[in-house]
Amino acid sequence: MDNPQLSSQVGAKHTVSRRGFLGALTAIAAAAGTAGGWVGRAAATTIKPVARPAAAQMARLLAYYRTRPRWASWLVPELNVNDGWQQWMRTILNSKNLPIAHDNFWRLGTTIAQPHHWAMVIDERRCIGCQACVVACKDENNVPVGVFRTWVDVVETGSMVPDPAGPIVTDAGNFRSEVKRSSMPLICNHCDHPPCVDVCPVKATFKRADGIVMIDYDLCIGCGYCIQACPYNARFFNPIQQTADKCTFCAHRLDRGLLPACVTSCPTHARVFGDRNDPTSEVSVLLATQATTVLKEDLGTDPQVFYIDREQEVYDENSTANTVYPYTANLNSTDYATLSGSTPPPAATGGQG
Amino acid sequence: MPLSPTNYYGSGLEQGYWGLMIVTYPYISGLVAGSFVVATLSQLFGRKRLAPLAPVAAILSFALLLAAPLTIWGDARQPSRVYELITRMHVPWSPMALFLLIWISYVVLMLVELYAVFRADNAARAEWAERPVRAKIAGLLTLGARSRDRRSLRRDERIVRWTAGIGILIAFLFHGYIGFIFGSMKSRALWSSPMMPVIFIVSAIVSGIALVQVAYFGIAKWNGWKIDREIVSELNMWLIGALLFDFYLDMIELLMSGVRAYAPEETYEWFSRLYFHGPLFWTYFLFQLALGVVVPLVALATRRGRASIVNSGVMAVLVLMGVYMMRWNVVAGGQMASKVTNDIVSYPLVWTGYDSVQTVLGVFGVAFLLFLLFAWIFPWKAGFEGTTEPAVTPPAAGPVPTTPATTSPANQPTPVPSTSLMGVLEDGSAPGLLGATRKRDHSGIQ
Ligand code: SF4
Ligand code: SF4
Repeated sequence: MDNPQLSSQVGAKHTVSRRGFLGALTAIAAAAGTAGGWVGRAAATTIKPVARPAAAQMARLLAYYRTRPRWASWLVPELNVNDGWQQWMRTILNSKNLPIAHDNFWRLGTTIAQPHHWAMVIDERRCIGCQACVVACKDENNVPVGVFRTWVDVVETGSMVPDPAGPIVTDAGNFRSEVKRSSMPLICNHCDHPPCVDVCPVKATFKRADGIVMIDYDLCIGCGYCIQACPYNARFFNPIQQTADKCTFCAHRLDRGLLPACVTSCPTHARVFGDRNDPTSEVSVLLATQATTVLKEDLGTDPQVFYIDREQEVYDENSTANTVYPYTANLNSTDYATLSGSTPPPAATGGQG
Repeated sequence: MPLSPTNYYGSGLEQGYWGLMIVTYPYISGLVAGSFVVATLSQLFGRKRLAPLAPVAAILSFALLLAAPLTIWGDARQPSRVYELITRMHVPWSPMALFLLIWISYVVLMLVELYAVFRADNAARAEWAERPVRAKIAGLLTLGARSRDRRSLRRDERIVRWTAGIGILIAFLFHGYIGFIFGSMKSRALWSSPMMPVIFIVSAIVSGIALVQVAYFGIAKWNGWKIDREIVSELNMWLIGALLFDFYLDMIELLMSGVRAYAPEETYEWFSRLYFHGPLFWTYFLFQLALGVVVPLVALATRRGRASIVNSGVMAVLVLMGVYMMRWNVVAGGQMASKVTNDIVSYPLVWTGYDSVQTVLGVFGVAFLLFLLFAWIFPWKAGFEGTTEPAVTPPAAGPVPTTPATTSPANQPTPVPSTSLMGVLEDGSAPGLLGATRKRDHSGIQ
């Protein structure tokens, strides 16, 4: 170090060889990693928008749908391009052109005279857990496989008790069933103070003046913030269109005077839909005469889906031994792993479950 | 059912939609804010011993700042619509919408700061650099202001001081708002906490100091410089201070979430299920707390420990790892806690493709390339002891001569010192601009 000239040369001498090799290596590795990552990212996204059919095929399809108007598949989201069906915001999401809010939702309640305030009352005494609404919603709204706009948790609690006189005969002996089954339809609550709408960075999701919370699929950047912010897990990423998605209360049907598909399809009339602004509507009467609860009331989201006779917490947080999900389950979960056998279930403890 | 990337989408009611990219985003932006804070230690708070590191820290911060948006951009499902963040900005309601505002103002501020930090040295390089392209670039970077008299250096110093002062606020905002994104979500018991922005900022400072430490070692080894133990010890002192604060916040979080008597039911339940008995036990207790905080605190507690280069290097790497684990524990933990059932939601680690380890490495690769680029562009070496290069051929140009006698005269047209004298006043004195020029006096080759 005393002789700066010498020291710099000595320093330079070993840096040259290392620089050449390591520099090239890191540069190539970094560039390859980057390129690979983005190629992978591109590969992961390019499958999302389903390719439009070729022009001739499109013309055939359109001719077909013109003669038989109905909701088309995801391949052809518009019935007739000239109808403006692809303009979601104007013709599907908000065909009555209602005022909308992205925040400050009190404005909708006080300063705008609205004709309707839609709400749903779910009577759990009537729900039999048949999942007809789930299927109807999937059919009506083309909800892709694996995600749900509405779902019904059906939960059995209790256990099969060994009993020599029991009616259930197995190789391991006879059993008597001591279970209680409860089912719980779940759906977007169309909260009057929806945190999901406030947090959207690009105002893609909004609340209509009649209370319906919706997403403009042409604006959503797919950040996932609203999905995280919804306390009810009502939102999901639509794996086809790669945007946030959720229940719309079938706004396209409401705007044409029809009830939501899940309500129409419910065989026991467990789902009641109507206008809270109309004191004679069935929901208003039910709300006035029945004890109702909403989900996670303490969060202050002011849900507009009300439950009559809601079961108390049926989940046992410490054990899955006595909980059964016959129809819907969260497949991405430890409980599912337990139930499906890939994780050994906790040891059975006789009648206690 | 083991999950693979192929069945990761659309196979459950609840999913951890925010993957590794969102784990990495707060990490990178934390490094941005943290290394900026290290730069301000000398620029604003008068820690002159750290002055040589300030330009490196600023360059690091800028490179990471430019790479940071790649993470959220790569995470967005509709990346082509990113312009809506400007055209349809939902401020002030959506914390996420603040991103572009804060990011752009940070970039502008960094440009001003980098300009002022390097202007004088660039002006010198523009005159003396041997390679015309370097001289050209340096000349451009001065934007025509080439004077190196006392007054202009004072002015530079003033600009740097102002940008450092404003920048530290923006750095806190830049990182604090990310903490706020998590903290403001009342839907998730483990995120919803007013402590989040503070926890994030403090761990950002921790990771930034460690990063500058690691970068210093790397640069010194790369260039064959002697590592200045005083700088290392001083950085370690700051690291300890930040780590203590971090530890304090971690302990508060542990007490307020992990003790049944003190915590809300949902918070306690998920905290204990995930961190005490669940899948995050090791990443939380071992990697985040023990290896990331406690071990470095102990190892750097003694004066000898702080002066030891190996020890400091290992501890800095541990701290960097611990902070990454903290981001993982927050982002993964929050989403593993189911909102509507009693399950622990699976949170698979994806290796390739969208939102994967590979993409994360890619983002770090971009940051590293940017750092190399800026390190080539900016004359940041000026402040280091022992870096003075006498008037010989630059090492990169051809075979290195073993003795001065064999040096090709063609490569050194004039005996004018090259990078060694950059920043020295035209009248021959060194004004100590940001400390960067002071050490040059001792090189004895003026
Ligand atoms: S239930 Fe969730 S998605 Fe629906 S309005 Fe409320 S917060 Fe938004
Ligand atoms: S996912 Fe779409 S709708 Fe939801 S917050 Fe992000 S941009 Fe808005």
